[in-house]
Amino acid sequence: MSQKETKSLWAEALQRILKDKVATLSLVIVVIYALIALLVSLGLVAGDWATAAGPENMAPNGDFWLGTDFLGRNVFKKVIYGTQVAMSVGLVSSLIAIPIGISLGAVAGYFGGIVDEAVVWFYTTFSSIPTIMLLISISFILGKGINSVYIALGLTSWVHLCRLVRGEVIKHKNRDYVQAVTAIGGGHTKKLFRHILPNIFHIVIINASLQFQVAIKSEVILSYLGLGVQDVPSWGKMIDDAKQELIQGHWWQLAGATIAMFIIVLAFNILGDALRDALDPKLKGKDA
Amino acid sequence: MSLLEVKNLTVEFHTEEGVTRAVNNVSFSVDAGETVGLVGESGSGKSVTAYSILGLIPRPPGKITSGEILYKGQDLLKFSERELRGIRGNDISMIFQEPMTSLNPVFKVGYQIAEALMLHKGLNKTDAWNQAIKLMDQVGIPDPKRKAHAYPHEMSGGQKQRVVIAMAIACDPKLLICDEPTTALDVTIQKQVLDLISELQHLYKMGVLFITHDLAVIADIADDVIVMYKSNLVEQGKTKDIFEKAQHPYSKGLLSCRPGLEGNPKRLLTVSDFMDNSGNELKVSQERMKPFTKSYTHEEERNPVILKVDNLKTYFPIKAGFFRSTVGYVKAVDGVSFELRKGKTLGLVGESGCGKTTLGRTILRLEEPTEGTIQYGDISINELDKNDLRGIRSRLQIIFQDPYSSLNPRMTIGQILTEPMEIHGIGSNSKERLEKAEYLMGKVDLLPSHLSRYPHMFSGGQRQRIAIARALALNPEFIICDESVSALDVSVQAQVLNLLLDLQEEFDLTYIFISHDLSVVNFISDYVGVMYQGKIVEYGTADEVYHNPKMDYTKNLLSAIPKGIPKS
Repeated sequence: MSQKETKSLWAEALQRILKDKVATLSLVIVVIYALIALLVSLGLVAGDWATAAGPENMAPNGDFWLGTDFLGRNVFKKVIYGTQVAMSVGLVSSLIAIPIGISLGAVAGYFGGIVDEAVVWFYTTFSSIPTIMLLISISFILGKGINSVYIALGLTSWVHLCRLVRGEVIKHKNRDYVQAVTAIGGGHTKKLFRHILPNIFHIVIINASLQFQVAIKSEVILSYLGLGVQDVPSWGKMIDDAKQELIQGHWWQLAGATIAMFIIVLAFNILGDALRDALDPKLKGKDA
Repeated sequence: MSLLEVKNLTVEFHTEEGVTRAVNNVSFSVDAGETVGLVGESGSGKSVTAYSILGLIPRPPGKITSGEILYKGQDLLKFSERELRGIRGNDISMIFQEPMTSLNPVFKVGYQIAEALMLHKGLNKTDAWNQAIKLMDQVGIPDPKRKAHAYPHEMSGGQKQRVVIAMAIACDPKLLICDEPTTALDVTIQKQVLDLISELQHLYKMGVLFITHDLAVIADIADDVIVMYKSNLVEQGKTKDIFEKAQHPYSKGLLSCRPGLEGNPKRLLTVSDFMDNSGNELKVSQERMKPFTKSYTHEEERNPVILKVDNLKTYFPIKAGFFRSTVGYVKAVDGVSFELRKGKTLGLVGESGCGKTTLGRTILRLEEPTEGTIQYGDISINELDKNDLRGIRSRLQIIFQDPYSSLNPRMTIGQILTEPMEIHGIGSNSKERLEKAEYLMGKVDLLPSHLSRYPHMFSGGQRQRIAIARALALNPEFIICDESVSALDVSVQAQVLNLLLDLQEEFDLTYIFISHDLSVVNFISDYVGVMYQGKIVEYGTADEVYHNPKMDYTKNLLSAIPKGIPKS
């Protein structure tokens, strides 16, 4: 038995992530992006992205780190503003997808029988509709704009989590420790919320970190297709703009948006892996 | 020259928490045609020693810091990974503990045996397949031609272990390393597998290194015994000498902690009776060793009947086809009746699949009975609705087999122990409940200060104590112990059995003790029921059943128990 002081399992997990230098760096990157997004939402940074700050199509230099676009706007500020769009799309779509995924998955896995069959039927049918088609139709129904991007991405990305949660709940509900709760007279609520869900919650967290980067990428694709964010800069729109610019050799708008996206997607991926290593009790030794 | 000679082997594990020495300066040898038993409890370093021989310890974190492992005079530690691969499975092969996981579920068993032959002997596919069938015949698998096409899940545990043995001997190894090959098996199958290993050993003149935590298992097959304790080799010698005049207190403790079929003391002797924490030998009092005979006085026969089970049946429907219609039933419990008096213990024995676990779970309504009555005092358990059932759960408790899965890994021990009290409103506030949890920790010989720890910080034996404490939290009258000591090492098993007996005496508990281990059941029970195919085929006091078994099935079970008497 270890003689160390007892720490909560979450504190232990955080400690394990901080030991891994690359994972810590990813965490720092995510926090920085989140901070930028917050500052932008509060109107403290990049609020003046729309004003023409200098000559048109200027290459990167000391004043304009990423140059200017065809209207003379500061590309760096657009990238910063786009960060807010990307992060909020990730956050809001996760906030929509995760509760749906957890509740449907948990209910289906725990109660089984006809409830399970209904839920499974629902998500298999739902997931057999091509995602991009669903996204397009939702954007059409709700109108273009950031709100429909939130809803479209949220509603299309719960299936994966729902499947995972359902499987894990089925696995855990037959474990002895849950049986033991039955034997001491605990009811369904106690078993599901106090015992099973805390044991599978790491899956939700890992999933959320991966969901975030999928949403960011999807937003870029949607905006590129003209179905996404309107009137404000987003990385997808910047890449769309860059289509024409590239022919004239103006590469900076494309570079700024893709690099910004590349870094955050990579950071989320690494963080997701690190979270799995840190949180998954299976990977820990029995007496670790 | 010995076939295998291990000289001054030291293995360390370097982790973030520091350096652990798993094997400390161990030397021994195995000759051709000789069986050497390597005995010790989990964590003693016995498996690490064996795995080091084949270079199977993960490096890092493992590190062999000194020593030599000489196979026919060549130092295996100096071999490259490539050279070692030529040795593994060919000259030295290994049988693992768990037959379920040592076979690949997606390949036919015949192919898995043939694969080794193709790899090491260079046989072509047809020859290898035919040879595999021959081997399966040799290890006693009936109808090997057909069975070679079977997948692992289509075979029983014993058959799977036979396939694993066939794979191990496929290339005529000179040395066979067996890592607890029978621990996961029933006694009757264990005996067959032990006989098979010793038969093959004589046939091929192999050296065998047999790792186990249970001395009794190897008594009649090992020539030499090595005892390991806390990474050190504490004793080695001829099997007969160790059994008759063990020198080290740990070996003495290990020999006496396993209950026998007769002459057991009132409480089992444990290693701690022979040795204190710093390894000094203790004198065991005569009083402690005195054999204890259970008495069946008429006084006790007048104890009230607390549990009466009548014609209990639990069937599981087999569903098939598109409409999931029921095509038949698995009759897990098929008409069981018995009575149990207060303060007594009923032992249920039988092989895996006999329905003993389902019976226990049905009594608690963790499974729904198909037919029959369960009368507990004046309550008909089989008729209770959900709410009444939850009320009565405080009086009937269960302790599960696997202490690693029966405790919620995300809760502290304090939360685990206070939860049942919260549900049943025992104690008026959380402070009172916590005090009771501290009291319970003391009762099961754990430190009350450990309540803030999580289950993974405890050993298997300690976890089982926590599970016992949780069952006691509700002041139950009746506890079902479902294979509660089967996952524990013999030395720990003895401590837990003693604890259960102490608690029974103190709280006047009634037990149903379910186990596949007949000697354990004999030690702890007043009455014994032998189960076979869902029915109790023999029932009586422990003495009657063990000394005058009436059914052939019971006799077979009894004769399969390792006697713990070395061959002369």
